[in-house]
Amino acid sequence: MGESLLSVRNVTKSFGEIEALSSVSLDIYEGEIIGLVGSNGAGKTTLLRLLSGVYRPSSGSITLGNGSPVSESRQYLGVVPESTGLYSRLTAWENIRYHSRLYGVSDEEAWKRTSFFATHLGMSDSLGRHTKGFSRGMRQKTALLRALAHAPRVLLLDEPTAGLDVTSARTVRQLVQDLGNQGGTVVYSTHQLAEAEQVCNRIVIIHNGDVRADGTPQELMEQTGTNRLEDAYVALTHDQARIRTEDSKPLSKWATWWRGLFTPAVPSEVIEDE
Amino acid sequence: MSNAARRIGTIAKKELVEFVRDWRTIVAILVIPLLMFPLLFILFPLLLASEAAEMENVVVEVIVQSNDLPNELGLLFNESNINITYEPLADHDFLSTPGIDEQRLRNSTVDSIVRLRGNGTVLEYSILYMSTSEQSQEARTRTFTVLSQWEQNETERRIVAAGLDPNETLDPLQWNGDFTESDVATQGEQAGMALSLFIPLVLAVWTFSSAIQPSIDMTAGERERGTLEALLGLPCSRMELLFGKWLAVATITGVGVLLQVAGLLFAIGYLASSDLISAPAISFTALVLLILAVLLFAIMVVAFELALAMRSHSVKEAGSILGPALLLILFPALFTQVINLDGIESFWFAIPVVNVLLALRELLMNRIVVSHIVIWLLSSTIYALGAALYAARQFRREDIVTSLS
Repeated sequence: MGESLLSVRNVTKSFGEIEALSSVSLDIYEGEIIGLVGSNGAGKTTLLRLLSGVYRPSSGSITLGNGSPVSESRQYLGVVPESTGLYSRLTAWENIRYHSRLYGVSDEEAWKRTSFFATHLGMSDSLGRHTKGFSRGMRQKTALLRALAHAPRVLLLDEPTAGLDVTSARTVRQLVQDLGNQGGTVVYSTHQLAEAEQVCNRIVIIHNGDVRADGTPQELMEQTGTNRLEDAYVALTHDQARIRTEDSKPLSKWATWWRGLFTPAVPSEVIEDE
Repeated sequence: MSNAARRIGTIAKKELVEFVRDWRTIVAILVIPLLMFPLLFILFPLLLASEAAEMENVVVEVIVQSNDLPNELGLLFNESNINITYEPLADHDFLSTPGIDEQRLRNSTVDSIVRLRGNGTVLEYSILYMSTSEQSQEARTRTFTVLSQWEQNETERRIVAAGLDPNETLDPLQWNGDFTESDVATQGEQAGMALSLFIPLVLAVWTFSSAIQPSIDMTAGERERGTLEALLGLPCSRMELLFGKWLAVATITGVGVLLQVAGLLFAIGYLASSDLISAPAISFTALVLLILAVLLFAIMVVAFELALAMRSHSVKEAGSILGPALLLILFPALFTQVINLDGIESFWFAIPVVNVLLALRELLMNRIVVSHIVIWLLSSTIYALGAALYAARQFRREDIVTSLS
C-alpha cells in the first residue's frame, strides 16, 4: 500500500437539518482506484464535493498527505463532476485550457498532456470543435482531458460513465484502469456495483450518509458471508434508502401552501390500491 | 502580475469570449443601445413628418348644416382644402347633440359635420366628429381652422366698426426686442439642462437592464448548466470568481452604456445641425466626476445583480427576480427627474440610486457643489461596498453548487 494522499477524519456534513454524511473516516492511498458505491442520495457526491473542496466539512477534517487542508491544495486534484461542466460556446481545447490556466499550468504543458490523453480517448480530431454539438460520451471525455491536463495527483470522478453508450463507457473505464496501472490515484463514484468491481481495487460502500464497508471486493464478501458482491451490498444496505438530500431542502410554510393551491390531490383509487 | 490577478483576468476573458460568440446577446446589449436614440430622434420624427404630409393630402368630407351661413364664412369654406356639402340645419336644442347624424359619422360616409346657427350677434356652432378616426380628426382640425379664421376677421371688423385699433385692443402687452437675447444661459447650458432630464434616467436604467442578462448567464446560468461545480473545485477563491465575473459584466455593461451614449450624442449632433439643441457645456472636472458617479453606480448595480442571480437556483428564477428589480431603479429615476435642483436639501444626495442620479443631473448642468459631491461620493462608495459584500456573501454560499436541474 502506498502513501496516504487524502485523509478523511470523522467528517460530518449537514445541510440544515439534513445530515448528508455522518462521521466518515477513510484514507486514500497512492496508486489506488477506490470506488465509492451507493444508491442515489447515499452521499457519494457530497463526499466527492468535500474531497474536492467545494464543500467544507461541518465537523472533522480532510487533509492531503502533507497535512494541508484540501481546500488549500486543490491544484493536486483533478475533478470531473457528474454534469461535466463544459462551456458550449467554447471548443474542447478552450474548455481544457481555461481550467489549466486557473490551475496555473502553461498552455504548452497543458496541450502536451491533453494531446497525449486525447489520442488515448480518440478525441484528437475533436479538440478544436465547439462542445455544443458533443455527445454525452464526448463531453465526458473532454471533461476527463480537462481534469488530467494539470497532472493531478488524485482524480475525482463522479459517475463518469452515467448515460454513456457502451463503447464510450468502456473507453472511460479503460483510461481509468490505465491510470491506475501507471500509479495514478482515482476516486471513482458509481452506483453500478459491477462497474466498481471491474475498475476499482478497493470499494467503499456508502449508504444513508454512512460508510457501511471499506475493502477489496473479496473482503466485502468475506465480511458479509456472501459469495457475490451484489449480495454483500444488499446485506450491508438492507435499511431503506432515504430520499432527502441536500438538493431537496424542505420548502418554507408559505411556499408549501402556495404550491399546494396548484397541486391536484392524488386520486382516491390510487391510494386504495396502495 | 499576481496569481490572483491573473486568475481574475482569465475568468473575465473567458466570460467575454463566450459573450462575444453569442450574436443574439450582442444585438440585444450592444447594437440596440447604439441604434436606439438615432432611431428615436432621427427616424421617428421623419416618420411623423411623412405621416403628417400624407394626412395633409387626404381629402376630407365635411357637411355644413346651417340656415343662415354668413357669406364670408361660406367663401372661406369654399377656398379651403375641404370637400363641403351644404345641408339645412334641423331643429336642435343643443347643436352638439349628434342625433341621427351619429350613424353617418360612425359608418364614415362623412368625416365631420359642422352645425351653425345665428343667435343675435353671435354665431353658435358645433363640430361633430369621431375621435377614434384620424381622418375625422383631420376634418375637424381643418374645419376649426376655417372657423377660427372667420372669427378673427369678424372680431377685427367689429373692433374697427367700434372705432378702435385691433392691434392695441387685442394685444395690449407686447414684447420688445429679440426674444432669444433675454435668456442669459448659453446654448450649451440650455442643452445641459435639457439633457440632464433624461440622460441620468437612460444611464441608470440601461446600466441595470443591460447587466441583467450577463449576470444571470454567468451565475444562475452556470449553476443550471452544471459548469459552476467544476469551477468551484479549481484552485481559485470564490472572491476571484466574483471579481472575474464582475469585471466581465461591468465591461459588457460599460460598453453597452457607452454605445448608447454615443448613439445619443450622434442624434444630438444631428439635431444640433438643425438648431434644435446644442452640445452641453461641461467642464473637465464635471466630466471626471460624472464618469466617477457612473462607475460607482455600475459597481453597485452589477454586484447587486450578480448577488441576486447567484442566489437563484435557475435562470428562470433569476429572471423573475431581476426583471421586477428594475423597478428599484426606474421609480427613483423617474422621481429624481421632478426634484428641483435649486436649493435642494443635502440629504437627497445620500439616498441610494437617487444620489447618483441627482449628481448626474447637477454635473450635466455643470454645477459643482462641493458639499453635494462629498455626500454622494461617500454614500455611493458605501453602497457599492455594501453591494460587493452582499455579492461576496452569496458567492461564498455552499448551496450555489446545487441547481434545480
